[in-house]
Amino acid sequence: MPLFFTQTLAILHKDLKTEWRTRERLSAMAFFALLVVIIFNFIYEPGSPIIKTVAPGIFWIATAFAGLLGLSRSYAIETQNDCLMGLRLTPVDPGAIFLGKMLGNTLTMLILQVLILPILVIFLNLQIAEALPRLILPILLGTLGFAAIGTLFSAMSLNTRLREAFLPLLTLPIFIPALLAAIESFRAVLTGAEITDWLVLSGAFVALYIAACLLLFEYVLED
Amino acid sequence: MPQRPYIPPFVFGILALICLSIAPYLVFVYAGIEKEMGLAQKIFYYHVPSAFSMFLGSFLCFVFSIFYLWKRDKNCDLWAACSAEVSLLFGTLVLITGAIWAKPIWGAWWVWDAQLTLTLILWLILAAYHMLRTYIEDPVQSARFRAVLGIIGFLNVPFIHYATKLWRTHHPEVVRGEEISLPPDMKMAFFFCVITFFALFFALLFKRVSLAKARDELESLKTEI
Repeated sequence: MPLFFTQTLAILHKDLKTEWRTRERLSAMAFFALLVVIIFNFIYEPGSPIIKTVAPGIFWIATAFAGLLGLSRSYAIETQNDCLMGLRLTPVDPGAIFLGKMLGNTLTMLILQVLILPILVIFLNLQIAEALPRLILPILLGTLGFAAIGTLFSAMSLNTRLREAFLPLLTLPIFIPALLAAIESFRAVLTGAEITDWLVLSGAFVALYIAACLLLFEYVLED
Repeated sequence: MPQRPYIPPFVFGILALICLSIAPYLVFVYAGIEKEMGLAQKIFYYHVPSAFSMFLGSFLCFVFSIFYLWKRDKNCDLWAACSAEVSLLFGTLVLITGAIWAKPIWGAWWVWDAQLTLTLILWLILAAYHMLRTYIEDPVQSARFRAVLGIIGFLNVPFIHYATKLWRTHHPEVVRGEEISLPPDMKMAFFFCVITFFALFFALLFKRVSLAKARDELESLKTEI
């Protein structure tokens, strides 16, 4: 296996292991996503049929906001005991650090989505059982795109005066086209409409931004 | 750095001033009144050239950001930051004139039309870029981060364009007063306005850059003392 991927996997392994030992990031994210789903229900009158048409939006807003919460910790944990400096000192490609962290964040968010989807189904009385297989690809692509730009910006926001609080200001505007694709394809799956155009869009978004972030990440890590 | 940094803003400023005083004549007297939209259509001559200037500014920011990361020349960062700032100004103009135009034509200030949505999202990215500068203390780090955001942000334009287009076609289409083929008099006035706004754009950009350079010089003189 090429060295780059060995390094990526090592970073990924490290991140998942530290996360699994405490699970504090994931539990905070899941609780926050649950809160978002519940709070959204108060916008409409109880039992209003509109809630079903906005369900894909609620799902993505909940996961994106909870994702931001998790992403902001992704580098903040590295500031303890100067771990980030240690990471930089190791002969590891900056791209591998980025990719490892990005995959770690993607996996965390996917676990979160697996937890939040049933809650959404129960609270909003959605029927998604038969649409479920067609939902996997758009959700995966949306999550990858979000994790790519979010991971890059979480390293950046750590050095601003607002620290983690600055992350959403950078991530959300860039994420809008991919978010639109994710929500619209979710909705299209529920109504049985065509989603190829949206998948092409999210696929291109993921490919371009992973490539761009891999190249640009070393400028963010530099001291 | 040119010997006389005040010359380019002056030249473009004079050019913009001359063009800006001729443009209203071409727009209101020379060009005919559009049949369906009437006088409201006149804002088109300011709205669309502003949008062109905005995109020019974001593109310049993108190019200078790449050059900064490549050459590490402080001037490239300065140009990128100033282009983004002037671009933000023109973006604000586009949004305001867009809303003024939309009200009589579509009966609402904002209708989530594809092009306006694209402008709005780009405006948000430019605003984030501008904020990033004020929230980082270390100037070198701030320059690097802004360059990264400048590149990432501009790469987003084709995605926003495609996404908003798809989004609009999947939803009830608003009736759009599209100028597909302009009559010659309107075309003439339109192109003149594009030149006018580009002159104004460069006048502001050069002025902003010379101001930023003067500020940097003042800072370095202060630290010397």
